Formats: sequence, C-alpha cells, structure tokens
Amino acid sequence: MSDHDAAQGPIDKAYAQAEAMLDDEAARAARRARVLGAVAREVGTAPTVSALPKRPVSWAGGWLAAASVAGVSTLVAFQLAGPPGMQRSSPAAETPVAAAPAPAPSPTTAPAVDAVAPAPPAGPRARMTPQADVAAPPPLALPAPPSQTTGAPTAAPAPAAPQAPADSEALIVTGEAAPPPSAARAARAESSMAQAPASPAVVAARLHAAAAAGRLADLTALLAQGTAVDAPDREGETALMKSILANHPAAAALLRRYGASLERTNRAGVSAREMAASIDDPELNRALGLAP
Amino acid sequence: MEDDAVEEADLLRAHRAGDPHAFARLYDRYDRACFHLIRRLLGGAHADAAEDLCQETWIAVSRNAASFDPAKASFAAWLFTIARHKTFDHFRRQRVAILATEPGEAAAMVPDPQPSPLEQVQSRQRAEEIVAAVEALPLEQRGVFVMFADGGLSLEEIAEVTGVAVETAKSRLRYARAKLRQSLAGERSTHV
Repeated sequence: MSDHDAAQGPIDKAYAQAEAMLDDEAARAARRARVLGAVAREVGTAPTVSALPKRPVSWAGGWLAAASVAGVSTLVAFQLAGPPGMQRSSPAAETPVAAAPAPAPSPTTAPAVDAVAPAPPAGPRARMTPQADVAAPPPLALPAPPSQTTGAPTAAPAPAAPQAPADSEALIVTGEAAPPPSAARAARAESSMAQAPASPAVVAARLHAAAAAGRLADLTALLAQGTAVDAPDREGETALMKSILANHPAAAALLRRYGASLERTNRAGVSAREMAASIDDPELNRALGLAP
Repeated sequence: MEDDAVEEADLLRAHRAGDPHAFARLYDRYDRACFHLIRRLLGGAHADAAEDLCQETWIAVSRNAASFDPAKASFAAWLFTIARHKTFDHFRRQRVAILATEPGEAAAMVPDPQPSPLEQVQSRQRAEEIVAAVEALPLEQRGVFVMFADGGLSLEEIAEVTGVAVETAKSRLRYARAKLRQSLAGERSTHV
C-alpha cells in the first residue's frame, strides 16, 4: 500500500469541505446545549446513581424498619385513639407486639419488631430520614391536592409482604410514609393540633426536588414559607443548581428572585454560575440574569 | 497527537473532578467530527436518530471518562469507537442488516482527478452531492472514509476502532475513494 493511501487526497478534502459547508450552526448550537445539559444532569445525578448499589443493603433494613415503625405506630395509635372496636387487643396492647405470640405476621417483620420493641418509636424513623433526604423526598404536602399526601392509603400496613417496586426511591419514600391508616389518621390529628413543622432537612429536600422537577407552585409555596433558598444537599448542591442542571429556566429565575446564590459552590467546587456556563443555554442564561 | 491526547485526558480528569468547562472544551473540539460520523453511518433513512445517538455517545464518554487511557488510543479513536458502537447498536435495535463490505468488489479504480470542483466545493448543491455519494457507500467503507477524511484518524487508528487489520482499513478506504470518484464524476458529467 502506498503512502498515497495514507495521505489526505482531493476527494477527502472535498468531503470535509462539504461537511463544513452543510453544517447547520443553529442545529449545532441546539445540540450542544442539549448534550452538555444531559451530561451535566448525568454528572449531577452521579452521586445518587453511585449510591444505588448500597440501597439493597439499606433496603432490607428499610423494610424492616418500616414494618417496625408501622407496628409501633399502630400501638401508639391504639393508645392515643383507644379504638372501641379493638377491645380484643386491649390487654395485649399494653405489651410490646413482640411479646404477643400469635400476630407475628411474617418471618420478615418479626425480627424487626423484636429489634425495635424496646426502642422508642422515633428511633427507626430517625434512621430512615437521611435516606429519604438523599432519595426523592416525599411530594410536597403544602397546598397540595389530596393525591399528594404521601400516598398513605396505598401504603401497605406493616405485615403486608413487600412488593418489590420498580423504583427503589419510591420504596424508600413508601417506607417512610407507610404507617397504617389508623396511625396516619392519628398522626394527622396530631399534626393538625400541633402543626409541627417539617425538619429543615426535609423542607430543603422538598425544595431541591421541586427545583429539579421545575414545579413552580411547590417552589413558590416553599420559598414563601421562608425555606432557606441556598440550603445545600449532601453534594453541596443548592436548589438553584438543581434547576440549572435540569434546565428549568423558570424555576431558576424564581429561585434567583428569592436570592439564590450563583456563586455558592458544591462539594466539587463548582458554582451555579459555572454550571450555567457549561450548559450555555440562552434562555437559562437570561433567566439567571447572565444574559440580556 | 500525543500532546492532544494528554490534554484530552486532562480534560476528562477535570470533568470527573467537577469542572464544567472541561467537558465543554472536549465537546467543542470533537462534536462536528463525531456528529458527522454518526450522521453518515446512519445514512438518510435513519438520519433522525443522529441527535439522540450523538447525545448517547457523549454521555457514554462522560460516564466512562475514567477508563480512557491516552497510552492506548487517542481520544478521537476512543470517541469514534463509542460513536460507532452506538450507531451499530441502533441498527441492531432497528433490525437493520449490517452488510459486510465485499473486499473483491470491483470498484473501478478511477485515477485521481486534477484539483477540480471536488477540491474546492463551490456550492451547497455540490456539497450535498458529495455527502449523498458518501452515504451511498457500503457501511464499512463509509465509516472508514468519514473517519479518515473528516475525523482525522490514521489508518492504524481506524483499524483499531473498527476491529480490523490495517490492510483491511486501507483497502476499504481505497474502495471508498474509487467509488466516490466514480459516482461524482458521473454526476458531474450529467450536470454538464
């Protein structure tokens, strides 16, 4: 084979010129924004993705904990509400569920009840909360429609066998929000009396989720509540960063109006301004006040 | 080329560390060639998939940034390998038969014309004719030709990307050029 084969010939150059001539700069710019946005989202979600393999481990614990929470919550609900139709359990209800010989519903829930019985009900919940912060937080329950109220009616009571859901995040959320209906009713009654606010971490997680999904109504409600606009998640990302990475200009603009910082950096040292620069989407830049 | 490769490895490293500009620099450097390769491999019938495959390719680059080794391949060769796999995966999904190039195919060995309108593309119409002629090439010849002519890969790199011997890559390139000369010469004559 001659060197001629390995050198650019006229026809090669002609083809390269033809491609250059046919390049559509507008399409290329749109592609650039789309690809870099997708890569930025990919990078932004990487910690969550990398955390997935750990979930099955916490999953088992999560279910056990959820089951035990539900069991203990049932007890608490019975004690609070004193249901008239439940007299059959009235003597036994004073004792831990684990002590009751018959009702142990399934092999998977029994050890959990054993393990949790001596502990106060808040224990397992406290362990689950950080997981829920990392995963998708529960839907906002502020001025939300009834369907958004944590899905309690569909949540199985504690003894129900866990159906493997397609989405592990959904499971974690379900695990946190899976008290039996009676406990949920009691909890609602309690909350309506006490109006106990959600923890700042939970509220921040809701803000992040709303920003990432571009849910303007939820964002507005949370921000109007006084939620810290620059509250970071575990990766140091703020709601503004989430909205930028998900390319939701309206959400980003709303967050900016509430004073979200462009300069604050995540744990990798990248600021919201730099994220926007990498995506370089004109609409997003305008929303952030970075372009006229 | 080696300096470029080192720099590209640095850009990938910076990207993994969270530098948002690093990936954009890399993208801007190779987007055109990568898109052209995907677009030409797809041909007219599958042109709609080019954008998606391009995005999939760059996401794969981002995900697998840690596995790029400049000592083993240039970034361009690595990128084109990913792009080619994505395109062929698309064909498989669409159940498109990927026909092997017939090495003995009697492509007329038309001698190189003198510098001509081919060398200086003077009109968009001519450019479209050239691109159409490239898209009419057999798939493997097309890939080799595009990677060589527009992607700037050496024959050795193309052989690596396509998983064939260098001699095979060379002959594919030769056949591709010959067919292009033939078809474009024919089109020129019909225009005259």
